[in-house]
Amino acid sequence: MADDKDVLRDVWFGRIPTSFTLYQDEITEREADPYYLLLPRVSYLTLVTDKVKKHFQKVMKQEDMGEMWLEYEGTSLKWHYPIGLLFDLHASNTALPWNITVHFQNFPEKDLLHCTSNYVIEAHFMSCIKEADVLKHKGQVINEMQKKDHKQLWMGLQNDKFDQFWAINRKLMEYSVEEGGFRYIPFRIYQTTSDRPFIQKLFRPVTAEGQTHTLGDLLKEMFPAAVTSDDGEKKYQVVIHGIEPMLETPLQWLSEHLSYPDNFLHISVIPMPTD
Amino acid sequence: QSMSLSITPAQTAAWRKQIFEQLSERSKREMENFKHYEQAIEQSVWVKKGNM
Repeated sequence: MADDKDVLRDVWFGRIPTSFTLYQDEITEREADPYYLLLPRVSYLTLVTDKVKKHFQKVMKQEDMGEMWLEYEGTSLKWHYPIGLLFDLHASNTALPWNITVHFQNFPEKDLLHCTSNYVIEAHFMSCIKEADVLKHKGQVINEMQKKDHKQLWMGLQNDKFDQFWAINRKLMEYSVEEGGFRYIPFRIYQTTSDRPFIQKLFRPVTAEGQTHTLGDLLKEMFPAAVTSDDGEKKYQVVIHGIEPMLETPLQWLSEHLSYPDNFLHISVIPMPTD
Repeated sequence: QSMSLSITPAQTAAWRKQIFEQLSERSKREMENFKHYEQAIEQSVWVKKGNM
């Protein structure tokens, strides 16, 4: 039987084959070929698409290039969501590669945050980690770390260094045996069919009586339609990192093993494919 | 006293086995036919520095 640590590696090294095509109305000096990349599921779009920008720069005039933004089938892709979450939420059950359209004009101000440098991504990433640690340990672990440890978490993600990241991140995953888990589980539940960006509430990994809370328990409370339906037919898929964990899976274990590097469990609830 | 990562009694649980199986299927589905694609982050010994 494989070791639990293998799950951490599988999660970290997940890649999504992606084809980037320039939007048809962008002004170019000659035709632009698509660009193909393997995107790390746990990273952020604007952190890993320098090559895409450089590729299209070759066929465009500088003055025609505003801030790059990305779109999939009419949906502007939020760079501040992890890549794997964006794919699971918007493109699950579609053929690979993932076809992303690249824009340099008409930035969708109401849908996307600007991302002018990697410092913006770093600040967002660190604020998520801090929020997660407030939920898990009242912020005590992240606050007791040194600045260089914070930097190591970020550099580990930025440079795709699993060991560098986990040498520090493991401290954020510890808990006392008496408590049986984190104080609260940092999770966010996303759906495409709602205007609400996501569901996030306080939820403990164990009941007041000490019983383990499962993924099913969480969904029953936060999004009951995802686990039950009147006719008994399954209407939704509950996806984390491209897989559908069983509803019996303990939430504490999920939080330790299937959280993104920002320390949140990002859960996509998507309608079952009809075909 | 603190512990992390492994929960021994759960080692043989069905949910756990299923996660391993699904992750391995995911690798096949998402990566097997695309090994010729370029990696978005280069894995080199030398890490590029920003402005010097």
